[in-house]
Amino acid sequence: MSEQKKHVADIDRSMYDFKDKDTSKFKAHKGLTPEIIRKISAEKHDPAWMLDFRLKSLELYNKMPLPNWGPSLEDLDMDDITTYVQPDTKMKGNWKEVPDDIKNTFERLGIPKAERDSLAGVGAQYDSEVVYHNVKDEVTKQGVVYTDMESALTEHEDLIHEYFMKLVPPTDHKFIALHGAVWSGGSFVYVPEGVHVSIPLQSYFRLNAPGAGQFEHTLIIVEKNASLHFIEGCSAPKYNVTNLHAGCVELFVKEGAHLRYSTIENWSKNMMNLNTKRALIEKDASIEWVSGSFGSHVSMLYPMSILNGEGAHSEFTGITFAGKGQNLDTGTRVVHAAPHTYSTVNTKSISKDGGACIYRSGVEVRPNAYGSRSSVSCESLMLDAKSRSDTVPVMDIRNDDVDVGHEARIGRISEDSIFYLMARGLSEEDARALIVRGFAEPVAKELPLEYAVEMNNLIKLEMEGSIS
Amino acid sequence: MSENLIEIKNLHVTVEDKEILKGLNLSIQKGEVHVLMGPNGAGKSTLVNTIMGHPKYNVTSGKICLEGKDITHAKTDERARRGLFLSFQSPEEIPGVSVENFLRTSYGAITQKPVKIFAFKKELENTMAELQMNKSYAERALNVGFSGGEKKKNEILQMLMLQPKLAILDETDSGLDVDAVKIVSKGVEKYKNDENGLLIITHSTRILEFVDVSQVHILVNGRIVHTGDRSLIDEVNTSGFAKYETAV
Amino acid sequence: MKLNLKNVNCLPTPTWNKLGVNGGIIDTEIPEIVPYTADVFPQTLPKCVEISDVMKTDIVFMDGDVDTGSGDSVREFVKKNHNTGFFIEIKAGTKVEEPIFLNLELDNQNPTLVDENTIVAEPGSNVTVVMRYTSKPGFNGFHAGMTRIYAKNDATVTLVQVQSLNETSLHFDDVGGTVFENGHVNLVQTEIGGSHASAAAHLKLMGRQSGVNIGNIYLGGNEESIDINYLVDHYGQKTDCEILARGALQDKSQKIFRGTIDFKRGSAGSKGREEEFAVLLDPTVRARSAPLILCEEEDVDGQHAASIGRIDENRLFYLMSRGLTEAEARKLIIEAQFTPILSRIPIASVREDLQTSIAGRLNTHG
Repeated sequence: MSEQKKHVADIDRSMYDFKDKDTSKFKAHKGLTPEIIRKISAEKHDPAWMLDFRLKSLELYNKMPLPNWGPSLEDLDMDDITTYVQPDTKMKGNWKEVPDDIKNTFERLGIPKAERDSLAGVGAQYDSEVVYHNVKDEVTKQGVVYTDMESALTEHEDLIHEYFMKLVPPTDHKFIALHGAVWSGGSFVYVPEGVHVSIPLQSYFRLNAPGAGQFEHTLIIVEKNASLHFIEGCSAPKYNVTNLHAGCVELFVKEGAHLRYSTIENWSKNMMNLNTKRALIEKDASIEWVSGSFGSHVSMLYPMSILNGEGAHSEFTGITFAGKGQNLDTGTRVVHAAPHTYSTVNTKSISKDGGACIYRSGVEVRPNAYGSRSSVSCESLMLDAKSRSDTVPVMDIRNDDVDVGHEARIGRISEDSIFYLMARGLSEEDARALIVRGFAEPVAKELPLEYAVEMNNLIKLEMEGSIS
Repeated sequence: MSENLIEIKNLHVTVEDKEILKGLNLSIQKGEVHVLMGPNGAGKSTLVNTIMGHPKYNVTSGKICLEGKDITHAKTDERARRGLFLSFQSPEEIPGVSVENFLRTSYGAITQKPVKIFAFKKELENTMAELQMNKSYAERALNVGFSGGEKKKNEILQMLMLQPKLAILDETDSGLDVDAVKIVSKGVEKYKNDENGLLIITHSTRILEFVDVSQVHILVNGRIVHTGDRSLIDEVNTSGFAKYETAV
Repeated sequence: MKLNLKNVNCLPTPTWNKLGVNGGIIDTEIPEIVPYTADVFPQTLPKCVEISDVMKTDIVFMDGDVDTGSGDSVREFVKKNHNTGFFIEIKAGTKVEEPIFLNLELDNQNPTLVDENTIVAEPGSNVTVVMRYTSKPGFNGFHAGMTRIYAKNDATVTLVQVQSLNETSLHFDDVGGTVFENGHVNLVQTEIGGSHASAAAHLKLMGRQSGVNIGNIYLGGNEESIDINYLVDHYGQKTDCEILARGALQDKSQKIFRGTIDFKRGSAGSKGREEEFAVLLDPTVRARSAPLILCEEEDVDGQHAASIGRIDENRLFYLMSRGLTEAEARKLIIEAQFTPILSRIPIASVREDLQTSIAGRLNTHG
């Protein structure tokens, strides 16, 4: 732990010096008070039970300690936490303050101007709103509810009351308690029994007002024998003047249902991304997680599958790419809590230019989960000797009738592979980039084409100038 | 103007401080096919890897010229762009990169021109058919899970697609069954013309069935100790290298 | 007396507390520590070896004491409470042909053993030390031991620690060491008995081309708990390590296996491999594993693999089709599982004794 802290402290982050610019007017506030929460709740016209929930979460938040494991969170100013959550905070930034590297990335990824403004938190909603409404109209015909969380709280209060933070209770850890107190925005999807949604739905906050997507709550319910593909985030860097993201994703996958949940996260590199995602998988149901982490300064992200019904299945495919100034602590957790449940985990990580990737996982097989199988494979690539790559997996098996396997490998790009490609005319830089893209291919192939192309471009971009 | 494709003069090469090549001379003209033979450890692989510029091989003196241009210290990719090709003895496996994608990237890098995707695909498919490779290999990750024979065919496929000026085949025929050697030999025949050249490391005549051999060299202990015609191959296969080793 | 130890067998990088593998607290009642008087050496010692009784030796460490696998609290407990221990020094260039045996037995007269040992292999020397921790049945024994190893340039130390205490004894075995240029340490620890068995080692590969091999066999039965923590730090270039563990759990036994390979910056050209296979024989067991690789160097090759599950049914079937009963077949398969570690013990008699005690402890129910 201390070593890791030291390592983090060594990172030069002078390029992120803008972090406190707009926050001075809140300096008087120390800590988060019930008054602030009441104010947030009132602005959102919460029902009484939600205000109550927020206040209870706040109490937990104020009592709970910071985690005693994982990456250093010293860059997070807990005293100034109010600045992150003030309802009257003008999250809207100024295009001039958006760092050049982000502007350049927009440019090179070919993000349209309107979308750039929105992503950088400086523009209004952009034209895709129209696209969103068209999609919404189409799925509504099938009886699917696809809306933002605030609207859902008004229009489907019973459902929200029944499911909201039941899977990820605010008692889980400090940041989820914070989320429970101050959550705002996010997506709600309800897929009725037997309905197969043929087009992937995308997270609402990508299209939502600027500044949203910090404490957003995503709640998805896929009823019996229904199916859905949901896509969250985008590969263009999302820039916020405030730098804490403590979102929450709750996924309920009912008997025989299927959910694929894809994420490409590329938060701006000043962001502390402490995101909690969890899925409850019932009998014969399945979830596929596809998770790409490219952005943020510090991440703690471990999507969790609870295999709650016999025959439930979970598949996790992840890639993490950490460059300069980044400490990305990512992985997954699986709980086999019913007989004959299956899980597979495939992860890749790439560390470069002083970046740190930590792969962390937990696979638990409960005593009743006989006949279960789990297979985990993780591969890490070190692109230089300045970076860091750790693998921290845990298995907890409480039953003999299991088959649990785990493999991990860490290494570098072999000199011979580079030579082979250079012998076919590729420059060293292109050869390395091609090998890294190939390394990431198992994840890219799980993504919709446009996202895969964006991810490949992103890798190419990250790899530029990687040869010293 | 010189018709020399490649000219190697007094080449000394060390690997991890050990001298392997000790003053090697070799020149190949356009339209020629040269065969290189020698006992294990003589320096055959060192020579071809040095010609291709592997960073592990350190040229301490001498030089290598390709079409009159000194490439002794050029980077590997530059050599490839200038028309050198090495068929690797054990081709690298590159996970996640498809054969087609790789070849197109390589073709673009060598020709320095944008590649017409559909025309390229068509040509690739035709060439694969000639090598009796299943079309599905184009979509598979480069060499990953390929058998020894499939890897070697894939090398010949690359040679035919990239049309180098000088192709070096490092034991491309070893470990192949009779049918596969036939297919590879046909590929070599198809590649060969009056403007390009071949340097072939082999132990047998099987891969040379359809080409005229210009010269055969015996490499022993880092030097070429004898040069002859095609008949030398049979002689070595009958009597071994003992005669040449003692001569050193 | 009370045994109260903190931060025992800690993971160098902690993870979710709920999984309970971060390392922990020992808080238990143990017998009063009384002087240990049993005869330890079954043989006459070779001349090239200098052994002194630690009770009469003042060991001074220039650069501070070693880090051990169990951590400071276990090491300090042993230093403070030792009732025996040996300082073994092998002179430069000496190859000790015969292994040095230390028979450390617990019985009614000697129910407690706290041994503090140091093995110094001077440059170019070679030695094998076998420590056998055994006990008579029918009393509550306590053992806590700590062994330092210094393998200097070109020296090789093989340390075999065999633990087969009775079912009501506590066992803490802790190793720490430094390996210098071209030096090698082979460590084999076998945990066959004890109500709680803790086995740990922290070895530092300081010198270029130094190496460590760790082999562990564990067999848990009844309500025993086994707690293992291995750490190997690669500092020198071209260093090599391998951690192999093979275990079986039956009844209501539990084990935690932790193994960490840590490639420090500068350890270019190094390799590390870690592998654990556990066979679970009853539905009531609990097996936890945390195989870590930490890395801050590019030019390294690190791998780990773990496999946890039942006996392969196809293998059972194959053996039974050749006429073995199920019990015989199971036994054969479980014993075979231990072979790769057993083969690292260079002394036939020790291997055979171990095989016998493993066979004796295995349940044969189908």
